[in-house]
Amino acid sequence: MPNAILDPTGGAGRAPAPGEGRGGVLAPRRGDLAGARVGLLVNTKQNAGLFLEEVGRLLAERHGAVSVLARTKVNFAQPAPEGLLKELSTECDVVITGIGDCGSCSASAVTDGVLLEGRGTPAAVICSDAFRGSADAIAALRGAPGYRYATTPHPVAVLNPDQVRDRAAAVLPDVVALLVSAAGAS
Amino acid sequence: MPGSARLDPDLAQLAIEHCYEQDWSDGLPLVPVSQPLLDRFLAQTGRGPQEIIGSLEQVGRECTVELAAINAAMAGCRPEYFPVVLAAFEALMLDRAARGGGFQSTSGPAPLIVVNGPVRGELGFNGTGGAFGPGFRANATVARSVGLIVRNVFGIKPQVLEQATQGLPGRWSICIAENEEESPWEPLAAEAGLPPGTSAVSATLLRTCEFVDNRHTQDPEQVLWDFADTISRTGALIFRETSCGVVFCPEHAQLLAGAGFGKDDVKDWLIEHCGRTQAELRRAGKDGVSENHVRFAAQTGDGAGSDGGFFRVLPSRQHVPLMVAGARNAAISMVVRVFGLWSGTPVAVETRADVPAEAVGRTR
Repeated sequence: MPNAILDPTGGAGRAPAPGEGRGGVLAPRRGDLAGARVGLLVNTKQNAGLFLEEVGRLLAERHGAVSVLARTKVNFAQPAPEGLLKELSTECDVVITGIGDCGSCSASAVTDGVLLEGRGTPAAVICSDAFRGSADAIAALRGAPGYRYATTPHPVAVLNPDQVRDRAAAVLPDVVALLVSAAGAS
Repeated sequence: MPGSARLDPDLAQLAIEHCYEQDWSDGLPLVPVSQPLLDRFLAQTGRGPQEIIGSLEQVGRECTVELAAINAAMAGCRPEYFPVVLAAFEALMLDRAARGGGFQSTSGPAPLIVVNGPVRGELGFNGTGGAFGPGFRANATVARSVGLIVRNVFGIKPQVLEQATQGLPGRWSICIAENEEESPWEPLAAEAGLPPGTSAVSATLLRTCEFVDNRHTQDPEQVLWDFADTISRTGALIFRETSCGVVFCPEHAQLLAGAGFGKDDVKDWLIEHCGRTQAELRRAGKDGVSENHVRFAAQTGDGAGSDGGFFRVLPSRQHVPLMVAGARNAAISMVVRVFGLWSGTPVAVETRADVPAEAVGRTR
């Protein structure tokens, strides 16, 4: 009987068991955003602040959101600190986070979304469409395979302010769709 | 080769292919690891197999001594290299950028691993001709070990959680011994405060390595201006400031030292002279600096200073690590473009005296 070949991943490389991590991931959705308190979790990537501010403004103007609370992550590469997530999930009904526009921040933006969902707060993560690979992988790693997020075309960092506002308007329907339930309040 | 007739290449090939099929490989063949081989690695350290030597919060992963040993063995290390792997990994994890998003970054940075002290000779780390490789087992496999740990233990793989746009030639293969014998200056580890003669490893992440070939002058300032040109190029400037080291060949180092330049004098000269003018920065669309220190194309011309002045890019001596490696056969040195900022902290290599007897006993 030969020796076994040892696994260098510590078991981390195994595929999730069927059904593992699925279900119970998403926070309950509202029927619409009328009266909703919106949180913005800005990750400091170039143009992220203006992009999310504009999304927040449009949610108020077009969808009846009543307030916008903007917060900034200190470290875009890491998930937001627990205190910040707690504040957002306490003070807000829905949270927009992004822009996932680099290797580490695309992953951490999705992580923030999954963590907010776990706290019962619907989240809409916005990533550049060049980072789907990273975003999908971290969702699976965080126990939420298939977690849906909104994308905006790459690139984002080089856009001028008017272009950023156009992008925010363009992604708005996807953001709303992520935050509400088509069937009404769930 | 006595005994080679008894080795079974066909079985070895099957085991190597098995490792590929598990998606453990960086693209090159791996050494399949068995428990007896792992035991020989673990016997080289007094640290327990389950001791955690590094973690990445953002991917929820931790690396234990045992997992590091399996990956080091897979990378082709000899068991006695393992304390150097542990020191290299620990040194790299002191780099804030490595703990942050460095391994996931679009820039695909490569660890620079620098070995000082007697362990260089004892284990065969090359610091003279061809120091950046290839050709030397200790250098090549220690660097590769770190890459395999990132891939397999942290789970950061290319095109998935690793998002390198182009990557970097030499990623996971840059491990140099410092050429202390031909350096006119104190070794990197001693400069950072470790007692002379200590075997130690320093590490940081690099964006790239760029040669400076100046066999053209004996004037130290002309030589330094040649380095300043490479260090100051706008393509490498992302933020207001940058960090950039030099791995001097012995000839350049000796020329500078002979002209009276100590290490700090070289650092101070580079700090003073490396930078660009406002016009040069504007030409490249990098004349503005945002609140978070990222450069951008200033729309109105009132970005970071609009007086047409000269903007220095190296803010402190810590941003200019200097060391010596290579052969004495030509005046060719390497500018090493630091991704974040070297911690300035070398990690001492565990010696046999540090290993408890019961751990040594495991070797049998």
